[in-house]
Amino acid sequence: MSWRSAFLLQARSDYDTREILNTQRVEYCHQLHYLQMASEKLAKGFLTPVASTEPPKMTHAAFVRCLQVIKGRPDIRRALNFSSTQTFSQFVDSLLPLAEQVQRLAPSYAGIRGPNPEYPWQAATHGAVTAPAEFDLPQFDSQSSQMNKLVRLVRDLLRVVS
Amino acid sequence: MTQTNGSHLGMKEIERQARLLARENRLAEPAITKVYWFPDEHEVRLVEVDTMVPPSGDGEVHPFYFRPSPQDDLPSPSGVALISPDEDRRAALPEGWGTWNDARELENEG
Repeated sequence: MSWRSAFLLQARSDYDTREILNTQRVEYCHQLHYLQMASEKLAKGFLTPVASTEPPKMTHAAFVRCLQVIKGRPDIRRALNFSSTQTFSQFVDSLLPLAEQVQRLAPSYAGIRGPNPEYPWQAATHGAVTAPAEFDLPQFDSQSSQMNKLVRLVRDLLRVVS
Repeated sequence: MTQTNGSHLGMKEIERQARLLARENRLAEPAITKVYWFPDEHEVRLVEVDTMVPPSGDGEVHPFYFRPSPQDDLPSPSGVALISPDEDRRAALPEGWGTWNDARELENEG
């Protein structure tokens, strides 16, 4: 299996796991964790040349940059059923701030001072330690229109990329 | 002779696709100020200067790669990277892409 295929296969598995968790009564942080991992591996799949025998180098900021490149792709736009370049780019642009927040959920970004879906953190202001399982991560409201659009975009990109 | 003509036609076709993608990308993102094409006979290779993106952080150009899509008039594979203005002609190019001196800037045809 190529590195590209391996990253994309794992990204699909991460996304599918997120979907399973979405139907279970488990803490929301786990869904977010799998969404962050799926989006990161999706971007790393795109970063890997088809025939490459090396894994991709870029380890951070890949998801947002990937979306910024994708919004100018006629092949992806058609595959996702958008009628015009402008419509598709506006749609992707509207999701970039949330995509950046998802990207920053990676522990390498959040560190031990910021909310993330995987590891406990200590607030810089008051010193309280919080576990992800007891925190709502309100900026990622699962009921919000933007969150649902971003999740669907990740799902659809995983469907069309190879 | 045939091979020479074939290569020539191949590069012309790659350039056509490079220009098509450059147009589409500029339409999608007006903050793209320059598009560099790195000629290759088999793959479309673009580096685009975008005032909205931050530097990569490691001084390297990181293209995203796409398979051919003949139904979208893109029969060749492509690699497209966005860089910040600070990285213009400075960031290290991917292996096999040549040097910045090999780049041809594609004018805005919009």
